[in-house]
Amino acid sequence: MSDSFKMDNIPFSLLTPQEQATVEASLDLGYYQQGEKIITAGEAPEGVYIILKGRVRESEGADEEQHIYVHYQNEDYFGGWSSLRGRAIHDFTAEEETICHILPTQVLVELIQSNALFADYFQQNFSAKSELVEQHSRNQDMAEFMLSKISSATVREPLVVEEGTSIRDATRLMREHKADCVLARKGGRYGMVTGTDLLDAVVLKEMPLDSDVSQIASYRLVTADPEDYLFNALITMTQQQIERVVVMSGQQMVGIVELTDVLSYFSSHSHVIGLRIERASSIGELKEAAQGLHDLIKALISTGVKIRFTMDLLAAMNGRIIAKLFDLTIPSDMQPHVCLIVMGSEGRGEQIMKTDQDNALIFRDGLSWKDMQATMNRFSETLISFGFPPCPGNIMVSNPQWVNSVGDWTQKLNDWAESCEGEAQMNLAIAVDAKPVAGNQALYKVARNWFLRHLRNNDVFFSHFAKAAIEFDTPLTFFGNLRDKGELDIKKGGIFPIVHGIRTLALEQRILATNTYERIQALVDAGQLQEQNGKDISEALSLFIQLRLRQQIRRVEESDDGFDPTPNLIELHKLNKMERDLLRDALQIVKGFKKHLSLRYHLGG
Amino acid sequence: MIIPRTIRRLQERRVHKNGPWAELFESYSGDEVVSLDCETTSLDVSKAEILSIGAVRIKGQKVKTSDRLDIRLKPPASLTGESIKVHKIRATDLSDGIELDEALDKLLAFIGNRPILGYYVNYDIRMIDKFLRPKYGFGLPNKSIELSHVYHDIIKWKHVGGDVDLRFDTIASKLDIPIIQRHTALGDAITVALMYVRLKHGQAPTSTH
Repeated sequence: MSDSFKMDNIPFSLLTPQEQATVEASLDLGYYQQGEKIITAGEAPEGVYIILKGRVRESEGADEEQHIYVHYQNEDYFGGWSSLRGRAIHDFTAEEETICHILPTQVLVELIQSNALFADYFQQNFSAKSELVEQHSRNQDMAEFMLSKISSATVREPLVVEEGTSIRDATRLMREHKADCVLARKGGRYGMVTGTDLLDAVVLKEMPLDSDVSQIASYRLVTADPEDYLFNALITMTQQQIERVVVMSGQQMVGIVELTDVLSYFSSHSHVIGLRIERASSIGELKEAAQGLHDLIKALISTGVKIRFTMDLLAAMNGRIIAKLFDLTIPSDMQPHVCLIVMGSEGRGEQIMKTDQDNALIFRDGLSWKDMQATMNRFSETLISFGFPPCPGNIMVSNPQWVNSVGDWTQKLNDWAESCEGEAQMNLAIAVDAKPVAGNQALYKVARNWFLRHLRNNDVFFSHFAKAAIEFDTPLTFFGNLRDKGELDIKKGGIFPIVHGIRTLALEQRILATNTYERIQALVDAGQLQEQNGKDISEALSLFIQLRLRQQIRRVEESDDGFDPTPNLIELHKLNKMERDLLRDALQIVKGFKKHLSLRYHLGG
Repeated sequence: MIIPRTIRRLQERRVHKNGPWAELFESYSGDEVVSLDCETTSLDVSKAEILSIGAVRIKGQKVKTSDRLDIRLKPPASLTGESIKVHKIRATDLSDGIELDEALDKLLAFIGNRPILGYYVNYDIRMIDKFLRPKYGFGLPNKSIELSHVYHDIIKWKHVGGDVDLRFDTIASKLDIPIIQRHTALGDAITVALMYVRLKHGQAPTSTH
């Protein structure tokens, strides 16, 4: 049986070997014809069904009135909830010939009582579920980041001198090789001589420059194995207050690892790139620093750092690049009179790959600056050369429509809010996510505060604005059609409804944060969202972004020109069973959230 | 072959009518079928030894894999290189096997008087009879169902000309049934059971080529 029933699939992988044996001994196989009802609404199912082969539809109502919830296919399980409750609320019908494993309710109940993790998975909500999955997929968290081996960091080749080399020669060699330590070989042993040792010997002990360097070496070397964790090397150095360890593979010397190398490895260059951005004194230097970002993103993702950390870090980096460019491009006497804002995903701090630049400039009413538009054009072009693609909707400062005085800007926001047109609503959605990155932030705040006050209690506006969030269908039933379509647009199906729905709620509550996660937290704090819902929505959004990102990176690497024409596409057959499960649950949450929005804003959808 | 077995069964039934195994000879009235498969050392009944026996009950549309028989026997002396190549069972794999007598008791209790289903089921029945008869004085009296006949009866009306391909793997793929652990007794018994349920309850396979 074991090869037809996959115990490695969650939630069965959470069971102990004995429990798994119980499962294996209790499974039956059922065969169902196309169109046959496996579980009928209102009746008690036999147990939980795990599909060996085939496709099953979960639906409510009959014939034309039928509402399909979800499709299940190979390796998916269904009926767990129904059998625990003792009564099914939906119909489960075989869409094609289907063979299922059946785990009797009795056994399921026993397992839930004996195994808390398993029970959690069956009974808990989505965020608890994804946490469980995270704990169980070992290479998906911060720990992996800390589990790098010493051999993966920079192991430097040591500079070795023989016994009898004078202090003078040793120093000269160190200078030539740009090394800051030297190993002196005395017989079969190695001794370490650092720059500090040399200084102590010559200055404090006043030893002659011809003295044998092996006399001042310390032979109690602190060594590490190349297969040991880099993190342990760092701990050793901290404890012993030393700055380098010798890497020995058995009796063989491999090299030396220095404290600075370890530290820079852990900061994964982000620290270095940050420094380079700050120190850039010309556009050329800034450009070089900006190009390092792409590698940083890839490194962070491949080491499995949580997607939210990556986004935060990247938002900070991009912000610094733009601010620095602003510094370098805008004459300093003009800087207090203008404010550069970034909008859309950049404003929310939720971009990962470099997405389009969405930016605008707000200037003081009555400012006279002849070269303003020319300077802005130059600014946009430079950003493009840095690898920030131009905005297809031309929402950037090179477009005079997005360079406004405070008065004009508030007027524009107002006009958009009153218009029902799609484009105006789009512009507004982008603009309310704005975040000031450079110049005089007060200019931006004046406009924003006025606008938020203006919207107060304008129910018609919010009802209109929210509508976009429920416009696209939640693609839950795509799953069954895997063989025909096998892909879904995750932006329309999952990301946009969450981001826009939360944006509407936040706007109504006059929440100043622009980041979706922060907005969710603020909404929870304000009592507008239940804490559990907020958590679930956050996790769902993270999942969508993570899945999208992984597929984007793969497509970029597979394409010849490094360009992904379909950035929002999720190819379902590239997901494993667990990811499919989570994706389905996450989409279920989106569906619930959309329902909540329709009720709240009377969208009647 | 068929006629002598029928006659012999009638004789044996008369002899054992009042014996401890009388139940086996009663005609079966339930809706269950037992799918049976043996792994043996050779395909020649007179020389072969049984290595393992797998059986599973079928009730309606369900293959009751939770209610199954998975017996491994002590390795026989004739376990040679040739048969190992087919079913990949080595002597060491059978080191915890049970004695043949115990296995036969278990098997009879499991099957009862239910019909026996198998792929080339006569071979399996003859193998078991070979060891059963000297000890109990009778062979398996059960009705037998040959999977390839069931398949052939359904497929032949749709098949134009030529012989129907009755190979195990072909039938499985035509019926779109996943093969579960090929060349283990239990795995083959389950696969055959699934094919049977599919033939009995599903629509006839559309493509025969």
